[in-house]
Amino acid sequence: MAQPLVKKDDDRDDEAEYSPFLGIEKGAVLQEARVFNDPQLDARRCSQVITKLLYLLNQGETFTKVEATEVFFAVTKLFQSRDIGLRRMVYLMIKELSPSADEVIIVTSSLMKDMNSKTDMYRANAIRVLCRITDGTLLTQIERYLKQAIVDKNPVVASAALVSGIHLLQTNPEIVKRWSNEVQEAVQSRAALVQFHALGLLHQIRQNDRLAVSKLVTSLTRGTVRSPLAQCLLIRYTTQVIRESGINTQTGDRPFYDFLESCLRHKAEMVIFEAARAITELNGVTSRELTPAITVLQLFLSSSKPVLRFAAVRTLNKVAMTHPMAVTNCNIDMESLISDQNRSIATLAITTLLKTGNESSVDRLMKQITNFMSDIADEFKIVVVEAIRSLCLKFPLKYRSLMNFLSNILREEGGFEYKKAIVDSIVILIRDIPDAKESGLLHLCEFIEDCEFTYLSTQILHFLGIEGPKTADPSKYIRYIYNRVHLENATVRAAAVSTLAKFGALVDSLKPRIFVLLRRCVYDSDDEVRDRATLYLNTLGGDGAVVETDKDVKEFLFGSLDIPLGNLETSLKHYEPSEERFDINSVPKEVKSQPLAEKKATGKKPTGLGAPPSGPVSTVDAYEKLLSSIPEFSDFGKLFKSSAPVELTEAETEYAVNAVKHIFDRHVVFQYNCTNTIPEQLLENVTVIVDASEAEEFSEAITKPLRSLPYDSPGQTFVAFEKPDGVPAVGKFSNMLRFIVKEVDTSTGEAEDDGVEDEYQLEELDVVAADYMMKVGVSNFRNAWESIGEDFERVDEYGLGPRESLTEAVSAVISLLGMQPCEGTEVVPNNSRSHTCLLSGLFIGNVKVLVRLQFGIDGPKEVAMKLIVRSEDESVSDMIHEIVASG
Amino acid sequence: MGFLDSLLNWLRSLFFKQEMELSLVGLQNAGKTSLVNSIATGGYSEDMIPTVGFNMRKVTKGNVTIKLWDLGGQRRFRTMWERYCRGVSAIVYVVDAADRDSIPISRSELYELLTKPSLSGIPLLVLGNKIDKSEALSKQALVDQLGLESITDREVCCYMISCKDSVNIDAVIDWLIKHSKTAK
Repeated sequence: MAQPLVKKDDDRDDEAEYSPFLGIEKGAVLQEARVFNDPQLDARRCSQVITKLLYLLNQGETFTKVEATEVFFAVTKLFQSRDIGLRRMVYLMIKELSPSADEVIIVTSSLMKDMNSKTDMYRANAIRVLCRITDGTLLTQIERYLKQAIVDKNPVVASAALVSGIHLLQTNPEIVKRWSNEVQEAVQSRAALVQFHALGLLHQIRQNDRLAVSKLVTSLTRGTVRSPLAQCLLIRYTTQVIRESGINTQTGDRPFYDFLESCLRHKAEMVIFEAARAITELNGVTSRELTPAITVLQLFLSSSKPVLRFAAVRTLNKVAMTHPMAVTNCNIDMESLISDQNRSIATLAITTLLKTGNESSVDRLMKQITNFMSDIADEFKIVVVEAIRSLCLKFPLKYRSLMNFLSNILREEGGFEYKKAIVDSIVILIRDIPDAKESGLLHLCEFIEDCEFTYLSTQILHFLGIEGPKTADPSKYIRYIYNRVHLENATVRAAAVSTLAKFGALVDSLKPRIFVLLRRCVYDSDDEVRDRATLYLNTLGGDGAVVETDKDVKEFLFGSLDIPLGNLETSLKHYEPSEERFDINSVPKEVKSQPLAEKKATGKKPTGLGAPPSGPVSTVDAYEKLLSSIPEFSDFGKLFKSSAPVELTEAETEYAVNAVKHIFDRHVVFQYNCTNTIPEQLLENVTVIVDASEAEEFSEAITKPLRSLPYDSPGQTFVAFEKPDGVPAVGKFSNMLRFIVKEVDTSTGEAEDDGVEDEYQLEELDVVAADYMMKVGVSNFRNAWESIGEDFERVDEYGLGPRESLTEAVSAVISLLGMQPCEGTEVVPNNSRSHTCLLSGLFIGNVKVLVRLQFGIDGPKEVAMKLIVRSEDESVSDMIHEIVASG
Repeated sequence: MGFLDSLLNWLRSLFFKQEMELSLVGLQNAGKTSLVNSIATGGYSEDMIPTVGFNMRKVTKGNVTIKLWDLGGQRRFRTMWERYCRGVSAIVYVVDAADRDSIPISRSELYELLTKPSLSGIPLLVLGNKIDKSEALSKQALVDQLGLESITDREVCCYMISCKDSVNIDAVIDWLIKHSKTAK
């Protein structure tokens, strides 16, 4: 066994010795580069020297500024040679050296000459280099030539121009966009690569115009694309269009699905795979749509090419997460892949089987996994761990063997991501499978005894602090935790102190022992650790008595902070030490609108250690707290409902204002959230002047101005209206923002003393009937419907006029009424001609309302609706009909 | 004997093929690229675009192959002139004799170039171009204004030419060919 191994090494050595460039030195090569200046050029020699220079550069050797300049100018002299090979090296060298803009311009004229040369090789390469070094002004000069090159009959030249276009689009989009016609022509090219590049560029030019992309895809899917690469690209663009248009056309068949399906019969494997993958990744793909894709992937599984097997098994692995049933057909082929020579394929096969298999096969598979776990890379180990986790959640009875497996691999070597995946999995299992809690926690304890990752240690300690005290015998964890205080770095020590304190606070019997340990921590070398220990000792009542911990103290120490940390930080920065104490209630609670992406990112995936599943504090609670903290509003009674924020300004205006409508029994409070987006201004005494002339039943009661509104930190001003008790009064309010504006010196941040009064027109705000309706679901609509009785039932029929689809009509009515759809009836199945939607809600005055909506659609998309309302109050039932009739 | 002479010349050109390298410098719009065209083909075009960087041309006159580095005259290229003048047989400095305002700048750029140690001893040919225009300077005035008399460390020569009307181009070519023999 050892013999061939040694031989292999020998081979490698031999190979290395034959490399002509091994051991060349920069200094010597730079000396050699003097041949570039010879009056009689030796093209062959020069090419060799350039090759050496390129080799050095690619090995990571760096040239000093002087060296690079010297070489560059010497290389430019090689333009005198007519040797095609040498010229090619010159182009490469210029690109590779990429000298500064003021130097590289010297070759412009020569490149422009080459760009119009008769030699195709010169033209193609000169275009690439020129586009690399060009700037906007020069580009307009050469634009004409580039346009010609795009439609050049030589594919190399055309591709060069197209690829350059793709690069230039980043810097000079408006120029490249003018080439659309030429690029469109190139898409029809017979040359495979030209078609590919042209399609790529054309899509990039249009990518911000959804309609144009859709048109492009529509025209090309009719079959003018010959190149497999371009076809793959087209499939990707098509899926993008499907994704974006899917929502609107739920009634019909999925657009372009036929195209994707026809690609499954393409002769190029690349295209077949791309299409199959695209189908599996469609949003809400049905099993009927999946079947043909799975079939071709199944064929790939038994292909002789490893790359096809890998591609297929990886895709099937993903499909198995969402549609395990669809993949079961492939199980037999998958089984044979477990012994595949390629470890990556084997891993993916086995994890796919784990997802699709049944309970009886688990043990057998686990044995096989254990065998090759040590042979695969971390990346695939993570895949295995995730598969085990989902398997465990699927078959909770098998948790013992799976948890054992996890703890075993946790002890082995591995990188951070891998370890984190394991720890996350264990945490999730502990949460979801009560039986697994004890053993899981002990595995984690063992792990932190020898854990090199500070992040994981602190996270586990935090988790122990939450789960440990709830177990039957919390005391056995103390040793593990206190060991951390002895052995770890300051961050982990501080976390361990907090965890100890949690045990102390939650388990009264352990308190005296915990205090002993905490007192020792007071002598720690790190001040954060000492501070924490001191804080806990004092607040938990460090006199050693076995007493129940005060609820306030618990809340203070371990409760969640209901203030956004960012706002707290800003407020603390502004706070100047003085007699007056820092008031935590002065911190604004309004969270600045987060970027959408962030919101999307959260959710779905089971969260591991990172975020305990506390869920966001409901906005209603937050509003209620905010309003009750304002004395003027304290006698308004209980908050009935708060609307979602309504934007009163366009995006990106000087002042961004949105409004929240708070409905009380006898009052309506408008909360205006204002943000000042001008760094040079400080706004003071900010109020909103509301004209309620179009809202007769309302009378203005209280205005609460905002004292100061500095740049980029949101603030609120309120206006309260009185209205008749319990009546859902509606009206239209026009708003004007009034304030005193002061100039701010942005360098010092200080505002001038004198301000100018100014006004800013906002958009109108409507109070509508839906504002008085609270979304409250019922678990069993039929029962609720029966129990409320038909005493106050009101039935009527309405024509909703022509609508795009049933879905649209249904969602329009739901948002008009502001009620909660029940039992998933807000979703209209594809192609249905009629639909019944169930809604429930609570009307102001705590009147329960149930609504049954029956929709029908006819040929010319005319929608008719039958509205049946049942409620506890006759007038409310009528009111609902009024809302619909007037909406 | 003319026949024998030409035969001899032809034979000589076969065996003693000579090469020379020249750099053409001077302010923008002085007529450097036009001069290259004049020497190479004798043609002239009013419609020229500024040279961005350099043009490399090879011209064969008799048994001499002349490599011409025609350099851009805009300010951003002037610092790079020197790199293309190293080791040439002669530096040709073209001046727009009709643009009197630019003469002082032309003069300072020329002296700037000549002070470079790497270029010491290289013969200099100054050409006053555009004498077809009425406002063009005389040769003597040009020599005085450029201070050519004060250059003593190298061979200096001055011709007044017109690329447009092909005046004195022959003389320039003769001077160049003569210097190809002295060079190396």
